Amino acid sequence: MERRTFIDAVIFAYAQIFFSNRRWFGVIVLCASFISPVIGIFGLIGALVSTLLAYGLKYNQERIRSGFYGFNGILFGAAAAYFFQITPLVAAVILVFLVIVFFAAAALEHYLATAFNLPGLSLPFILSLCVFIIFSSNFEWMVHAAPPREVELAFQVPEAMRFYFESLGYIIFQPHFISGMIIAAAILAFSRVLFVNSIIAYALNSLLVHVLYPDPTPAFMIQSSFNAMLVSFALGGSLIIVSKKTTLLVALSTVVSLIFTIFFTGIFAAHSLPVLVLPFNVVTLATIYSLKFRQEHSDLVLLYFLPGSPEENYYYHHNRKLRFDRYRLIFPELPFFGEWTVTQGYDGSLTHRGDWRHALDFVITDNNGNEFAGHGTSPADYFCYNTPVAAPMDGEVVRIVDGLPDAPIDTPDLEHNWGNTIVLSHQYELYSSLSHLKAGSILVKKGDTVRKGQVLARCGSSGRSPAPHLHFQFQLSERVGEKTFAFPISQYLQQDKDGFVLRTFEIPEQGARVRNIEIHNGLRKAFEFRPDESYHFVCTSGAATFEESWSVTIDAYNILSITSSRGTTAYLQVRDKIMMFTGIVGNHDNALYHFYLCALSAPLGFIEQLQWTDSYPVSAAISLPVRFFPEFFLVFVNQLSADAEFCMNKVSNGETQFVISSRQRLRGRGLLRFFNETKEGSLVIRQDGEIEALTVRSNSDTFSAVRKHMEHS
Amino acid sequence: MDKKKYERPVILKQQSGLMNKFGSATSTQPMTDIEGVPVAELAAAYGSPLFVLSEKKMRDTQQQCQRIFRSRYPKVQFAWSYKTNYMNAVCSIFHSEGSWAEVVSEFEFDRARHLGVRGEHIIFNGPAKSAAALEKAVRAHSKIHIDHFDELYELIEITTSLGLKADVAIRVNVDVGIYPKWDRFGFNYENGEAREALKRIAASKTLRIVGLHMHIGTYIMSTEPFRVAVSKLVALANWLKQQLAIDLDYIDVGGGLPSHNTLKGQYLQADETLPALEQFADAITAPLFELESHGDAMPTLILESGRALVDGAGYLISTVLAVKRLSDGKRAYVIDAGINLLFTSLWYKHKMVPAQPTGVMREQANIYGPLCMNIDCIQEDASVPALKKGDRVVLMNVGAYTMTQWMQFITFRPAIVLITADGSPHVIRKAESLEYVMSLEEIPPSLRSLSA
Ligand SMILES: Cc1ncc(COP(=O)(O)O)c(C=O)c1O
Repeated sequence: MERRTFIDAVIFAYAQIFFSNRRWFGVIVLCASFISPVIGIFGLIGALVSTLLAYGLKYNQERIRSGFYGFNGILFGAAAAYFFQITPLVAAVILVFLVIVFFAAAALEHYLATAFNLPGLSLPFILSLCVFIIFSSNFEWMVHAAPPREVELAFQVPEAMRFYFESLGYIIFQPHFISGMIIAAAILAFSRVLFVNSIIAYALNSLLVHVLYPDPTPAFMIQSSFNAMLVSFALGGSLIIVSKKTTLLVALSTVVSLIFTIFFTGIFAAHSLPVLVLPFNVVTLATIYSLKFRQEHSDLVLLYFLPGSPEENYYYHHNRKLRFDRYRLIFPELPFFGEWTVTQGYDGSLTHRGDWRHALDFVITDNNGNEFAGHGTSPADYFCYNTPVAAPMDGEVVRIVDGLPDAPIDTPDLEHNWGNTIVLSHQYELYSSLSHLKAGSILVKKGDTVRKGQVLARCGSSGRSPAPHLHFQFQLSERVGEKTFAFPISQYLQQDKDGFVLRTFEIPEQGARVRNIEIHNGLRKAFEFRPDESYHFVCTSGAATFEESWSVTIDAYNILSITSSRGTTAYLQVRDKIMMFTGIVGNHDNALYHFYLCALSAPLGFIEQLQWTDSYPVSAAISLPVRFFPEFFLVFVNQLSADAEFCMNKVSNGETQFVISSRQRLRGRGLLRFFNETKEGSLVIRQDGEIEALTVRSNSDTFSAVRKHMEHS
Repeated sequence: MDKKKYERPVILKQQSGLMNKFGSATSTQPMTDIEGVPVAELAAAYGSPLFVLSEKKMRDTQQQCQRIFRSRYPKVQFAWSYKTNYMNAVCSIFHSEGSWAEVVSEFEFDRARHLGVRGEHIIFNGPAKSAAALEKAVRAHSKIHIDHFDELYELIEITTSLGLKADVAIRVNVDVGIYPKWDRFGFNYENGEAREALKRIAASKTLRIVGLHMHIGTYIMSTEPFRVAVSKLVALANWLKQQLAIDLDYIDVGGGLPSHNTLKGQYLQADETLPALEQFADAITAPLFELESHGDAMPTLILESGRALVDGAGYLISTVLAVKRLSDGKRAYVIDAGINLLFTSLWYKHKMVPAQPTGVMREQANIYGPLCMNIDCIQEDASVPALKKGDRVVLMNVGAYTMTQWMQFITFRPAIVLITADGSPHVIRKAESLEYVMSLEEIPPSLRSLSA
């Protein structure tokens, strides 16, 4: 076991108590847990024992490192030392129980995860502690300890504030004002959302307690407060993506948490068991579990990826929606070669109506928009006539209509609406249909399997076709003339005044001049990162110069990632002809992060002046000082955005290279209008696919990295 | 009211019956202007004879070709064949339409570089590349198309000594059943020479096979030879993939597409007999889909068309110097443009039209150039309306292989004017002058004092 991962496991265990995944947060909690040192030491012992056990028994390394096993150990160790006087014998019993806690954590975690897909939270700790307390009641040598002495404060604090901090501290069995202060400060630094939640939950809970009880005991105040706050952390941003609705949920669950605190206090008092964090566990798990059964998950979205801070989760989720919601699992492309113009799109004015609204008509035009040369009185005058029609994606030929002659120009054959037609069946019960083909030009037969881009027939003008064109539609059965089904084109290039714009999973509109992307082997090599590849760079960041290397890995779930020697990991995938980064974790002062900025997404093909746009999660592009204040209001509105425009060209530097120039626009809206920052990136890729260099300039500084090619023998 | 034009009487042989060797009758409207600029003004301003080129025609033709080929195959790249017409302005037009450069000599290579064409957008063909030229091409990362084994060995030597790698293709000659067989260029397909060459290249450490090249001839009049030739290249590419695991970046099918000129000995007008460009494109592209396992990264189709793109954009304004009758009574004209400017008239019946209104009657006439040599005949038995001394005529479809193959003989080479896309004429090459022609000459001191 590496010392480094072991230390991580312990530190993350502390951070996890408050749903944080930051090392510094863990270190702060660790410090805060030593205000009463004995309790702190036993907490730490708990963390060490659990983590060592997990390693020794070879549990999943990543899970261990995340701190999951350690965190129940900490709570148990601290709680045991909080409730009992420590003698050597008691310490030995605690050690034995830590083993139980560990197994309870492993079993419960697995059970909750597989049976209900729920997190284990701190249930293992609570169960083990109950066993421990009931066990202890049999022996006189196990003596209850007095609550730790309050640390004297040199100043007067209002009671409400004192209870707030003490409740926070009590979560790690350090019910001191100072512990609470330290933890609160850490929470504030980690997440404004959680901080605001804790205030809301605390305030509402105090209000309710005072309504219910004329004179509540401090113990009950603290008990109910920290449960309410923990619930607000879990449901108000850590396990659910924060939104306006999560605030309502926080309020509601504060009420419920109080009810359960009262309930468990009533039940447990008989056995003189502490209630501790049981209400939090029950309310959180029940809420999350019940939310899973909704028909629609468009709001109160449960976390579906590895958690970051609530802010990061929010940005990541919304960024994903923006970028990938329209993506599908299959990748149809345009069924022809070269540049064609959409003469009628979805909901067209002529024939794409009613059941047939979702169809596309294409023709070829010259640069002046003419569809034909000569008189245009014969189909052969039309540029698209007799050009190849290709399969939009892999599939099987399921229907063929052939033998209908081309209709004379402007006298469509109303009897045979679709003319000569090929229907293909694809994966997922999707069908595509290509109509008005030229008679006798069909090269495939029913039952043939075809590959994307395979030539099937020639464009013609048979059927209801006033002039040669290609009618293309998706549908859900193999019937010719079946009603249409809206389905996007996975990627295509649309001509605009100064180049081509890349579109992904969109539907070409009427008038658009479009074409497919053709793969360039060099770009494919550049962006199809292969496991075990490594890269070395010499970087300059401001005045500093350093070397950095990347390694590419693919995990058991087939997730591809690049890890920098400077601690950052970026996740990416290639979908058909587009490479895209899906996430990045770690710090920003390295080549990998700047590569992510320069190539958030990129096509594997080239055409001069190829342009595209994309958006970053706000937290991946805008620094914390800028985000800090607005994030207090994130529940209501996000006023920051981070978009980028990319343009790929070839540039000669002795040898010709691809250059992706990018402009990152980091902007604020509304009250944050004044915030407006631009970065300019440039990424150089050799024609043979070697990533050569990158530079990112902002107002204040410049980062650049140059590839260092290692000698291979 | 205009004065009615006097029409000189002409004597015509009675003709009857079916098709005859003069082809179908052509009614030629006079060509009074080129792209909107009056011929008379052009001749007055820039002299006669005068080459005139139309930018619009070049662009339209290039765009049409691109459209036709790109709608039939996903990746198409044109490479402008410099030898066809390497006037800087002309090359610039084709480069701005996205064409690369196809060169066959160091001179052409340097011209392309001078115009700023990127090294790897230059295709270096030809059987006679000097060592110096090869070295330049290697340094510029140009695509070198190897013609024969001696060149292959020389290139290996050069790249090895420079410590550089080169992207290469081989020129392959295939039997497509047409005459003449262009088997003096490149490596033969049928006898296995091409495979041997490819194996040799694959074994070298400095050469990378990126393409296969062919050029089956110029002015190919039917589509079948292309289909056959491309099929053979595809078979060779598949062999490369199977045997040597090499994926090609491109397949270069050369030039050879015909222009609108009618060949000598062809009775019918070219436009009536030649297949349409679309048919050529079908013949060239269809076999490419037989390429094996290139999957989604198909090799690029490169076309080095020259003639077909520029011939129709070139005009030659000329003036009738004399009207004669030959000993057998046949009409003959002497014009001021001869075979010195129209080398191509050895093969083509360049269409000649008057630049001013004429009578409607036509007669057979021989058109002679101004050189005092018997071979200087632009066309025999041309069917032309009556012309008189001083009349202007326009020779059509003279954009290809004229301005690169013309010769300076007993007189100067004339100016070339380009009518740009906005319709304004620009001199792109000045008429030669005595100083220009003599500037390279020197007289040994012993001869300097001679006076005639
Ligand atoms: C190798 C090569 N490519 C291209 C061409 C251009 O041919 P064309 O003008 O017939 O298109 C030629 C002409 O001879 C050639 O030799």
